[in-house]
Amino acid sequence: MYTLEVKNLTKTFGKLVAVDNASFEVPEGSVFGLIGRNGAGKTTTIRMMMNIYLPDSGEVILRGAKVGQDFKNQVGYLPEERGLYKKMRVLDILNYFAELKGKSGRASHKKADEYLKRFDLYDRRLSKIEDLSKGNQQKVQFIATILHDPEFIILDEPFSGLDPINTNLLKEIILEMKEKGKIIIFSTHLMDFAEKMCDHIVMIDHGKVILKGALNEIKSKYAQKNVSLTYDGDISFLQGNPIIEKIADYGNTTGIRLKESSQTQQLLKMLIDRNVTVKKFDANDISLQEIFIELAGHEDGSNGSANGGKEVRNA
Amino acid sequence: MLNQRVLAVIKRELKEKLLSKTFIVMTILMPLIMFGGIGIQMLLHGDEGKSFVAVVSESQPLTESFQKELLSSSFMKEGNYTFSFYTQNREELKNFLDQNKKKLLEGTLTGVVYVPSSAMKDKKIEYYSKTPTNLNLSRKLEGPINKVLIDNFFSSRSLTSDELKFAREGIDFNGFKVTKDEKIEKAGYGNIILSYVFTFLLYLSLLLSGQLLLQSVIEEKSNRIVEVILSSVSPKELMTGKIIGSAITALFQMVIWLSPIILILSTTLFMLPPEITFSITINHVLFLLVNFALGLVVFLSLFGMMGSIFDNPQDAQSGMWPVMILIIIPFFIAISMMENPNSPIANVASLLPFASILVMPVKMTVVEVPWWQLILCLAVNAATIFVIFPLAGRIYRVGILITGKKPKWSEVVKWLKYKY
Repeated sequence: MYTLEVKNLTKTFGKLVAVDNASFEVPEGSVFGLIGRNGAGKTTTIRMMMNIYLPDSGEVILRGAKVGQDFKNQVGYLPEERGLYKKMRVLDILNYFAELKGKSGRASHKKADEYLKRFDLYDRRLSKIEDLSKGNQQKVQFIATILHDPEFIILDEPFSGLDPINTNLLKEIILEMKEKGKIIIFSTHLMDFAEKMCDHIVMIDHGKVILKGALNEIKSKYAQKNVSLTYDGDISFLQGNPIIEKIADYGNTTGIRLKESSQTQQLLKMLIDRNVTVKKFDANDISLQEIFIELAGHEDGSNGSANGGKEVRNA
Repeated sequence: MLNQRVLAVIKRELKEKLLSKTFIVMTILMPLIMFGGIGIQMLLHGDEGKSFVAVVSESQPLTESFQKELLSSSFMKEGNYTFSFYTQNREELKNFLDQNKKKLLEGTLTGVVYVPSSAMKDKKIEYYSKTPTNLNLSRKLEGPINKVLIDNFFSSRSLTSDELKFAREGIDFNGFKVTKDEKIEKAGYGNIILSYVFTFLLYLSLLLSGQLLLQSVIEEKSNRIVEVILSSVSPKELMTGKIIGSAITALFQMVIWLSPIILILSTTLFMLPPEITFSITINHVLFLLVNFALGLVVFLSLFGMMGSIFDNPQDAQSGMWPVMILIIIPFFIAISMMENPNSPIANVASLLPFASILVMPVKMTVVEVPWWQLILCLAVNAATIFVIFPLAGRIYRVGILITGKKPKWSEVVKWLKYKY
């Protein structure tokens, strides 16, 4: 059962095609990751899902109906670049954001107090935003995102610019929301975060969907052909070998993609026969990062591939 | 249109604006600045400091007549003028001026008035001073000197003293305002003062509220608050809320500023001296407020639009000129209208979009305006809203989400076609 269906979304800005015929589905009760490098079209997709942008073509369907104000009222949205009114007091701004979502009155105010207490901000509730530290401003933003008890939580690059404490706090919030059965959609270029938190993903590159589905299915599908290898010795003989499709050197480890999934044993035998010291041979593990580089990297040719891979790894 | 989200935005805008220092200070300070300004002008006009003037004529009897006439004139009572009298011909005057050059330059001698004998025929007199264009002085001396010359001219002819008195009299220009009402009333300066007050208040209020809205839109855009807000409301709702909030604030401020005039018109608690009493009705003030409300929506749409295009105040200030021109030109037309109420430009401007907001209230204060023109003016301004507001909205919805490079005007025009 899909809660949210994105159908053939396209958005252009002048000559730039930001999102190109993207389709994917968000299942009920999932933590959903929108993955891609910077500028891939993640934010534009999210903005179209939020009805902030109208798509050039395509539509976003929420449980059978086109998204509109109804959806907006059920969403808690934390954009990548987060801002608050600097001159407003913490409590005022929380109540204002809740009011915009149609939640006002005592129940909402009480909830704001609860969250402020939980996040150690209760004694600052009458302070102006500009007097708060950056970390505390981020906390206020988290509260504003979830205060109206949204059914959907959409987070755009949620971990960018967060300190380690707030990163953990946000993870906690996401998991808590997941337990409550909320649907969490977040975009990120950090593959390891996505890998740890998502159960469904869609991968976007140059505005196009290049991969989508349940994370565990994706991983097992790609893992069969992939071997992650740590070794001592010379493996240059593998270049051009008929069973090898591709070799990628990631520094400490080498990723080897085979032509057939049944050839892993053959590869191991070859390595041992050639006196290569195998320290780690993992035929079942593939990271999202490797999948991403494999799928997105080759588009730009070898040079682009190196850059793409590097970008992801550094992040 | 006015749903609960728009109301929430309006509420926040009002709370922020009405409680801001800028609002409170400007509300109190503006009348002080205006009346202070008028006061300073009067002070500059009235008190020119002490003047020491030498009056020189070519004949002894004439000098004596000047002495008698000037020393007995009314302005001598203020004690600001000290006169000295000399009888000298042109040659001697030259020496006199040379001797007193230092005094003239220092200002211990304000000026030398020379009445040559030829003035008996052509009334041409000379004034030597460091500041020869002193209107105040010439206005004051003109009368007495003219009187003496006329006396002198007619004394050789046999005229009765009544005839002489008539000849000496200057013209007193009394203005009578003709209105549709039966009575023709003698007009005081009241309406002129009032038209000044209206012009300045409307002008300043448009600028002030526009600037505040501009800043507030830029703040939301550059702090990236706007994206969070747009996850709850549509850009149109946000812009509507902000414009209505700002308009209510500006209108409220205008009512406070005009409250003395409203009180004078609607009650008999205050009596004004007849010279400055004004002949407008409470309906005039109501028209001004309604017209201003429409104008606010037009101009605030434009200011909001401008705020969405730029993402820092510096760029916005330098890119604001098209909107500023729409306020400044009507301002000057309104000012010129006070001196020449029948100028065709002003008459046309009083019915044009943008300009009529400032010009019509002023026109209506200085001349009688037929009611159909007032209604036409309101209709024009209301129609302008229907053109400007959607146009500004289209640019606003694109602009507020675009940051980075300052956009070119050609790009802004393209935004109009974007589907958002």
